[in-house]
Amino acid sequence: MFASKRLSKELSKLHDHLPPGIELIQADDFAEWLMDIRVIDSNPLYQDEVYRLKFSFSQSYPIEAPEVVFVKDATHPIPWHPHVYSNGIICLDLLDRQGWSPVHNVESICVSLQSMLTSNTKKERPPGDEQFVKYNTQRPRDINFVFHDNQV
Amino acid sequence: MASPSPIPYDRRSSRASSTAGQPASDLLVVGGPPNSPSPLELFLRASNLPSSKTRISKIPPDLHMLEYVSSCDTNLICLICHSPFDKPVKLACDHYFCRDCLDHAFEVQPDGHKTCPTCRGRVDTDTGVLPVPKILEKMLDELVVKCPNTKSGCTWVDSRVNVNDHVMLYCEYTLVECPSHECRLPIFQKEFHKGCLHYTLSCEHCHTSLMKKDLEVGYITQRHQKTHCSNRFTACPHCDAEVLRLDLKVHVNDSCPKMVIPCPGTILGCHFTAERTEVIKHENACPMATMAPHFRDQQARIERNEARFEPLARKVGILEDGLSNITNMLYPANPNDSSFPVTNPLDPNHSDAFPPAPLIPTPDFRLPPASFPPVPPTNDQSQTPFNNPSQPPFDSQVHHLLTLHDSLRDEVSRIANALTDLEGRTNMMIINENQRVKDEMLHTNAAINSMRMQLHWLMSATLHQRTSNSTGTSTARAGGSTSSNSNGNGRAQGASGASTSLGARAEASGTLHAPMRRLSDSTRQDTKL
Repeated sequence: MFASKRLSKELSKLHDHLPPGIELIQADDFAEWLMDIRVIDSNPLYQDEVYRLKFSFSQSYPIEAPEVVFVKDATHPIPWHPHVYSNGIICLDLLDRQGWSPVHNVESICVSLQSMLTSNTKKERPPGDEQFVKYNTQRPRDINFVFHDNQV
Repeated sequence: MASPSPIPYDRRSSRASSTAGQPASDLLVVGGPPNSPSPLELFLRASNLPSSKTRISKIPPDLHMLEYVSSCDTNLICLICHSPFDKPVKLACDHYFCRDCLDHAFEVQPDGHKTCPTCRGRVDTDTGVLPVPKILEKMLDELVVKCPNTKSGCTWVDSRVNVNDHVMLYCEYTLVECPSHECRLPIFQKEFHKGCLHYTLSCEHCHTSLMKKDLEVGYITQRHQKTHCSNRFTACPHCDAEVLRLDLKVHVNDSCPKMVIPCPGTILGCHFTAERTEVIKHENACPMATMAPHFRDQQARIERNEARFEPLARKVGILEDGLSNITNMLYPANPNDSSFPVTNPLDPNHSDAFPPAPLIPTPDFRLPPASFPPVPPTNDQSQTPFNNPSQPPFDSQVHHLLTLHDSLRDEVSRIANALTDLEGRTNMMIINENQRVKDEMLHTNAAINSMRMQLHWLMSATLHQRTSNSTGTSTARAGGSTSSNSNGNGRAQGASGASTSLGARAEASGTLHAPMRRLSDSTRQDTKL
């Protein structure tokens, strides 16, 4: 009840106003939303590409962080970033149990990811990407990332 | 405003008092000022406890769920629940949250390491959570909200500070438990005094089974007799006529004189729109309205024909598919040709390109080699639907497979026929060849036989000559230079003698043939004898 109330408020706000480069694609229920983001400035790594984010909310949102991953399909690639695995899982302290705070919301997550991509200059995947993508069976929220990079 | 609402309490408490024997209750409740609920509540609780039946099942309104009349200042909104603060608290870092929201957020954090959700600053839960300034509480109290029972029909709108009292005491639309001891279903507070209304009745007009509470007093939107019962008279919203609700739709659509309708000639472009009475007058003068029925007939006929055309078109598509399949089977050399002649067999221009000869089911071995292309014909068959874009799509996958299967079967039988034909031909050839070889062998045998005969004869002739000349051998040896020469001479003489004696039939030729024969004979003698 708590989650859906808050999500309905967020949704009406998103319908009302969205920051540039962020788009609400699908929000049929209070469990899974799809958002599209693109990098606004002229970072050549992300030029002309739109990335699709999948938000999965638990019942205890916003106390618990939502699960946010990039989704790959025909028109939406996974962006190159040293903290984004090629299966779409994002290593960002904001989305982790410790880094999450209930004052964050869908919009602020999107903006954070946008700026994370904007500031990136390296076209690479995190170290051990292949291994991780091959063997990871955990859900993103259960993975214990070690946050070593404070630049992002 | 509060005068009618405490009635259920009054009745219920009076009843409770009559059973519990507390005569002071009536006075207290009736005389109780509406804005001082606490003694009343206290009393209700007190009087209710002994009966052990939880009569007051009212749930206090959740401030997070309230609907605000106007949008609230964003500074008054809790960042966790995104609603105006409810019982706000302040952290040492000057960040404000609802008490409950903060508790929820702290719940998941490890003990001793509570941090502010906004700035992540350390928070001491004992001393760091402070009360908020009075002015903030005032501002929150003055927010105007709607009654949570608005959907049920309550129109109360007031400051948020009063909502609890309103819902708990005065709102007529708050659900309470039915007064009947056996019934536990909820009912609106204002109908509490009517006793249990949870029994089914049949509407006297339309004979629908309904619950009593819905029939007379229930939710505004479900009040059957006033708004739903189809057998009750109701006023037409356009004219003043009273019609049964059942007939209202028909009345409005077909006969209501005040209903604004367009001219029937609209489909032909008449833009006249007016009340029905006016439109009827207009119709007589409007040529388009007169034409409209005919046009409608035409339209209907066209639609019928189109509907009939649809399956025919599909059928033609299927047939074309089959035909082009057959064609591809017969001419697998150019299956990719989209403008294949047979797709349009009725076109006289293409009829020449489609000679009847290949239609013979058994394939002739002398067909152009293209009929056995290097690629297996099965491949061609399966590729044609993709290679031929202009070909109409197959009606269904099953049909496609069936066609494919048929064509493959035909192909197989064709190949089988060709094989038997080829076998017969080869057999024939072998037999003929054998015959020839046999004949030749016979010839050779005959020749060998004749030669043997000749040889025999020569041998006997030579022997004969030797015996006859045995007397003159001594002279021949003495006088002759070499034995071999004499032998050769003797044989030559014998041969010439034999040829002359033998050739009774050809004496002239015998002399001619003699040297040749001798030559061949001499060689044969060396090898064979």
